[in-house]
Amino acid sequence: MTTWEIFLQQLFNGLLVGSFYGLVAIGYSMVYGIIKLLNFAHADIYMSGAFAGLIILGFLNPYIGNQWLGIIVALLLSMILVGLLGVAIQRVAYRPMLKAPRLSILITALAVSMILYNTVLLMTQGQYKPFTTGLTHESFYIGALRMTETRLVLLIAALALMLMLHLFITRTMYGKAMRAIALDRDTCQLMGINVYKIIAITFFVGSALAAAAGIMAGVYYGTVHFFMGFLIGLKAFTAAVIGGIGIIPGAMLGGLLLGLLEAFGTQIPFIGSSWRDVFTFVFLILFLIFKPNGLLGRMESERM
Amino acid sequence: MFKFKNAWILILVIALFAFGLFGCGDDTAAPVDETPEGDAEGEFEGQVLFGIMVPITGSEAADGIDMENAALLAVQEINAAGGVLGYEIITSTGDDECDPSKATAAASKLISEEVVAVVGGYCSGATLPTLALYGDAGIPFVIGAANATSLIDENPGWTFMINSTGDAQAAKAVEWFEGLGVDTIALVDDGSAFAVDLKEQTKMQWEAAGHSVVAEDRVETGTQDFSAVVTSIMSANPDAVYWTAYQGLGALLIRQLRQDGYEGVIMVGDGSSAQELLDLAQAEGEGVYCTAPPVVDFLPAAQSFIEGYNENFPREPGAYAGLMYDATYLLVNAIERAGSFDGEAIKDALAATDGFEGITGPIGFTPQNTLNRSNFVILVGEGGRWQLAE
Amino acid sequence: MAEKKQKKFTNPFGTVVESLYDLFDKKAPRYLLMTIMTAFLIYLPLSSSRFTQEIMTNLFFYVVVCLGLNIIVGFAGLLHLGYAAFFAVGAYTTGILSSVYGVNFWLTLPFSIIAAVIAGLAIGAPTLRLRGDYLAIVTLGFGEIIRLTVRNLDITGGAMGLIGIQRPVLFGIVLNQITHFYYLFFILAVIAIIVSYRLHDSRLGRAWEYIREDEDAASAMGINVVQIRLYAFIIGSAFGALAGSLYAAKMTAISPESFMFIHSVMILLAVVLGGMGKIPGVILGAIIVTLIPELSRDIGQFRLIIFAVLLLILMLYRPQGIWPERQGISTKL
Repeated sequence: MTTWEIFLQQLFNGLLVGSFYGLVAIGYSMVYGIIKLLNFAHADIYMSGAFAGLIILGFLNPYIGNQWLGIIVALLLSMILVGLLGVAIQRVAYRPMLKAPRLSILITALAVSMILYNTVLLMTQGQYKPFTTGLTHESFYIGALRMTETRLVLLIAALALMLMLHLFITRTMYGKAMRAIALDRDTCQLMGINVYKIIAITFFVGSALAAAAGIMAGVYYGTVHFFMGFLIGLKAFTAAVIGGIGIIPGAMLGGLLLGLLEAFGTQIPFIGSSWRDVFTFVFLILFLIFKPNGLLGRMESERM
Repeated sequence: MFKFKNAWILILVIALFAFGLFGCGDDTAAPVDETPEGDAEGEFEGQVLFGIMVPITGSEAADGIDMENAALLAVQEINAAGGVLGYEIITSTGDDECDPSKATAAASKLISEEVVAVVGGYCSGATLPTLALYGDAGIPFVIGAANATSLIDENPGWTFMINSTGDAQAAKAVEWFEGLGVDTIALVDDGSAFAVDLKEQTKMQWEAAGHSVVAEDRVETGTQDFSAVVTSIMSANPDAVYWTAYQGLGALLIRQLRQDGYEGVIMVGDGSSAQELLDLAQAEGEGVYCTAPPVVDFLPAAQSFIEGYNENFPREPGAYAGLMYDATYLLVNAIERAGSFDGEAIKDALAATDGFEGITGPIGFTPQNTLNRSNFVILVGEGGRWQLAE
Repeated sequence: MAEKKQKKFTNPFGTVVESLYDLFDKKAPRYLLMTIMTAFLIYLPLSSSRFTQEIMTNLFFYVVVCLGLNIIVGFAGLLHLGYAAFFAVGAYTTGILSSVYGVNFWLTLPFSIIAAVIAGLAIGAPTLRLRGDYLAIVTLGFGEIIRLTVRNLDITGGAMGLIGIQRPVLFGIVLNQITHFYYLFFILAVIAIIVSYRLHDSRLGRAWEYIREDEDAASAMGINVVQIRLYAFIIGSAFGALAGSLYAAKMTAISPESFMFIHSVMILLAVVLGGMGKIPGVILGAIIVTLIPELSRDIGQFRLIIFAVLLLILMLYRPQGIWPERQGISTKL
């Protein structure tokens, strides 16, 4: 491969992984924006989404097959299902804690994460499960770039979901209410906004997007596993911070940037894949020191 | 409703402790000479406790549970056939979670329960600090899977490794690569002690044989996306890629390599030798080689084991099930030869083992208590199943 | 839903719990209880199994690291998600000096503290000015950097970790039995408790409390917020490093898997669950987090789920922690 081909290939790799990071990062960012919670359970929501998708696809397969049509229906169904799971978690574990010390809600988030993670571990006995689809992996070239149909469709789908979310946040009443609550929850309540409902919607949307990312990862990589959320959760969280936590376009941008960074980091001599994550986190720390509010964050004189 | 809040807290705290104490009550219940409840006919003279140390929770739980199953199956069969020296075997599992500090706690638990001997050992890193503990306590430990070479140095003499060690596997890999006419290879691991050990051994032997390693890559446990690593490997254009870690990630690597158009040889190490690898890799698993421990599917002696396993557990036996099954039988055999449950006697009997016929082949030990032959075979994925390549 | 203090005295069970807490806050009963407990814990190894001693040793280790983290999280109100990195720094400093250079164990302790102070300064100085949550992320990143670095370097033994760390020698006795380490960690835990109380009641402790409750006011009163926080960060790190050094001596082999993110999380969990800033509360948290998963080993795979469910319920009913600080910690934290 020539340097140019490697560059193109890594650029595409980075964008695709980055868009997955972005989808998960949005959930972290939205929840943080609205209730200032680092939602530890979000990574497990992503994992649950992948498993929900696998199970639903299994049911649908005899009727509509497991090609794109089946996948899309499974995707939508599990987005709804996992979205509702997110709402339920919010209702049980977070809403009673909104007035409690900030760190306590972190612990309930952790508890929820442990419950989800260990339940799936118990159900799968820790085994990786194949995510079988009817898609082919024939590759073709666009210029010097090797491409498969799956990759192309998934990248477009991820970007489309982000765009839809952006429209939802900027163009609808709910989106407006979310942004308002993020700024000042008490005042919103006084202005007659049903704060709890908006928080529930936020969780629904964030969880649904994570579920979508989980299923897309299942379709793309072909396996799902109870441990699959952990690392991507950590990375997505990093991405959300890089982009400016609480800011939705920032989360998307942060995800893409992180994906690219990792892809090119692998290629740099002396860094290579074993130092890749060190490189990522050092970058994160330097970034926070020199640009503490993230890429799209505004300077705020907020205190903790 | 606030009224009851504090009552609830009290109840919860009590429940938490009761929950703890409930477990506590059990750990003293490790009788060696108690009449078992379920043993109505009283055909046993008493009970003897074996320890099983494997990770049954945590990221490596899949293989750990599989190994536990295999040991339990062996115990069940042995008991059905009259036990050992007339005693019924009961077991206690110590969950090491593939974490060194949890492993020492698990080992201490087993030692406190006064187990006669221990079988298990999956993650080399977690198994390592327990060797001295078992040695100090005078408890023989038969390792069914963990095989990093560093275990040999830490062995106080009470540990017996029935899986060939990393250097033997590397030698097998080098031999096979050379047979295929490969000259440049890429090595990929997951940063675990076991996989890095195999990688280092392979690299050393491969370079000593006058060939070159053109890429070394590493992925984190839990990674799904290998695309950047794949592109990096492709740009180095090796004749073969050798994955030295476990099957879950291995399947992902294989799929992504093939989907990106890699056409060279792919080989995986024994951590990936389970059928699961091919199930997960799907079509891309065709033609993948594996340096494997004796996988039960190809062992004529193992057919009844596979049947027994499938009857009792809702899954296929994994890579180390056969070895764990043998480890348990070997231990019973050694106890019978020793004629007592004394640790020292069992240890000596284990060390003197010669040509014990396990389902994975004959077992005997070197002076370092490692298997005295290389038990590795080369498998190849054909039609979604492993076949012997030799 | 905010829990108000005056509503506590409405039912007999609650009153019992609260009055026990009240009792313990008085000096005389506290000293009495502490004496009894100390006597019991000194006696314990004489009549208990190896496993009991092992998990009790583990508990003392946890008490030390939890108290260390409590200085950062509870006293100074800084969210720290990479604490395992600091005991990794201690453990590896001792490990390398001992196994590679053959330095006597006790002589490695000052180096281990120095290394932790340097690491604490390096990570704390530039970031303590930032918003609280960012500190959490920086520390999380730092935790991963340390773990991956020790895994990749040769001097730290790579993925296999370091083996052959020397046993400490005390009064001519080689400490190699679990009972030795039981007492060693017990003494360390007692020291950690005393130091924690002294710090809590010191000028520095009051400054931390002030900053935690109202940063702006504290700043206006002339307290150098960044500097005072940095003290908390460094002292907390030193606690962790010391515990890490002893851990290395006990295990004689350390590897990167002992310093995963999940360990940092479990320590934080113990601190918050017990009651941030409250020393007996933190100890209680350490007890719950270490003993319950260990003692319920026989339940097997279900134990972590049950543990998590209990944790969730407990937190829902007791958001300030089981045994919180009297004055009530600011909800802003």
